[in-house]
Amino acid sequence: MIYKEPVFRPAGNVYVMVEYGDELNLSLNFRVTALNKAIKKTALAGVTETEPTHRSLGIVYNPLAVSYKELVDELKHLDKQLGELKELPSRILTIPIWYNDPWSQECARAHDAPNNMEFIAELNNITVEKVIEVHSGMLHWVGTVGFTPGCYQASPINPSFVLTAPKYPRPRKWTPDRIICLAGHLTSAYPVSSPGGYQLIGRTPLDLYDPMQRASIFADSLVLTRVGDRHRYVPIKKKEYEAIRREVEEGRYEYQAEEDIFRLDSIITPGGTDRKESDVG
Amino acid sequence: MSEKAFEAITGGLQTTVQDLGRPGYLSIGMPIAGAQDPFSLRIGNLLVGNEPGKSFPVIGSPGEAGLAILLLGPTLKVLCSTVVAVTGGDLSCKLNDKPFPLWTAVRVSEGDVISFGRPLAGAGAYLCVAGGIQVPPFLGSRSTFIRGSVGGIEGRALTKGDILKIGIPKLPLEESVGRTLKPNLIPQYTKKWNIRVVLGPQDYLFTEESIKLFITYEWEFSSMSDRMGCRLIGPKLNFKPRPDYLVDQAGSDPSNIVDDPAPMGGIQVPGGLEPIVLGVEGPSMGGYAKIATVITPDISRIGQMKAGDLVKFQAVTVDQAADILRKTEEILGEHSIIKMTETK
Repeated sequence: MIYKEPVFRPAGNVYVMVEYGDELNLSLNFRVTALNKAIKKTALAGVTETEPTHRSLGIVYNPLAVSYKELVDELKHLDKQLGELKELPSRILTIPIWYNDPWSQECARAHDAPNNMEFIAELNNITVEKVIEVHSGMLHWVGTVGFTPGCYQASPINPSFVLTAPKYPRPRKWTPDRIICLAGHLTSAYPVSSPGGYQLIGRTPLDLYDPMQRASIFADSLVLTRVGDRHRYVPIKKKEYEAIRREVEEGRYEYQAEEDIFRLDSIITPGGTDRKESDVG
Repeated sequence: MSEKAFEAITGGLQTTVQDLGRPGYLSIGMPIAGAQDPFSLRIGNLLVGNEPGKSFPVIGSPGEAGLAILLLGPTLKVLCSTVVAVTGGDLSCKLNDKPFPLWTAVRVSEGDVISFGRPLAGAGAYLCVAGGIQVPPFLGSRSTFIRGSVGGIEGRALTKGDILKIGIPKLPLEESVGRTLKPNLIPQYTKKWNIRVVLGPQDYLFTEESIKLFITYEWEFSSMSDRMGCRLIGPKLNFKPRPDYLVDQAGSDPSNIVDDPAPMGGIQVPGGLEPIVLGVEGPSMGGYAKIATVITPDISRIGQMKAGDLVKFQAVTVDQAADILRKTEEILGEHSIIKMTETK
């Protein structure tokens, strides 16, 4: 659902969540981005940091500097002044993936789960090869960054076929780093080893988080991807994976990021509510 | 300039270098980290004359770093003459096998041994030293974030053989020796806790009976707790019916939402079972409904709970929470410190 007016919800005494809706929808993500930019530009009193997500903006504030009510009034005012955001600067990042890699398979086995790629293929009534073809055949919009450093969630842009997968019924205790994963319609990743519940689809040789900021792509940030990026996933095999990984470790790899503009009206199906895939397992 | 102050004879269960953490990077998924009981760390720093810093959400003033000691503490050999204060939980701290007075700045000398024994009250002790523990800051903070392998000692917990260095004391050592927290301000750690929360941000997804149950039930603190989050054992909480598109987009479990920011202190309830209070190293966002959020002044108390403790939640408004925060912050100043006339 897209709310008529943004809903403001306190989370404890130092957060306010500005919610534009409760669903996955790129138009909501654009509004979140617009408000986030406006807050940064205005430097709202008492606001210490912001966390954009698909459908809501988390705002962290110091309650000793501004009261909740004052802040919400300011935010309402700011929101009313927002023009319609039609386009955004958006990089296209190329991310190679070894789909159905041995680490993902081992991790699934260790948690008594079936091969995740075969599971997704069966659930979507296609072959594993077709899953790879579909997943790498479209661009993915990064709507939010977080969970662990460098983790993100990306939704398919104009998909010819929407892959869907349930989360693990019981979250895994661990997941190897650099694993790319899928749940619902969203692609995500485990930049560092961590617990998690998404289905494991492959591993990238690229660093998604580099606290040492060795490669030039990490010059401005410790993490590879940011909100508003589009991802292009490229299937690779063992040999290529190992070659790229070596280059990354030796600091020779050239990350591919293409500066571009993304227009909201280039989306054929902007919403999520009108999609009707029913069987999520 | 820095001086070698301690050598770890043993590392303890999980001893980490912590200051008040590194807020400001939540939007890239970097957790705040830092002390789980910021109150005790700040008081400890005040006692030894260090900059106590300001707690989350204030950015850029993490204070000096100390050692955050979990349940079973380390054994430390003292390598120089300095002043140390141990605050927080009573983990049977000893100086050369004699009880070490808590909440007090104590002189230690080369060759002394600081050790810990059985945890008697609370879960975490904080060892602060004049001049602060010196490790290279990462994003403006010395706090250890173990999963991200950054901060502290090479991004990990203290281990046998580690040498810890300290900075230059702000106060002459003689002046800080014997500084102690006013006795009436010393927190009392029992096995029963009252924690204040603001309901939401997703309380509206739970049934009214479940919200009532949440704030009336006495929850048991689970052993499945760490710096990421603490689990609570108790009855199942139920959700209201939700529209079909959320089943598809957010997940088949009724606790699933389309991911939104996950605040420190947020209480998410995956599957309606075992609510999880998100900790200082918690995820920055998540896909589970949060029934309530612990207010920041009470985060320190969560940091002192241990398995088997009982906790009851009390709902307050954001305005009440602001008043509670103001009062807590007022304690954290020079006026709360007295100098003991006789020290040993």
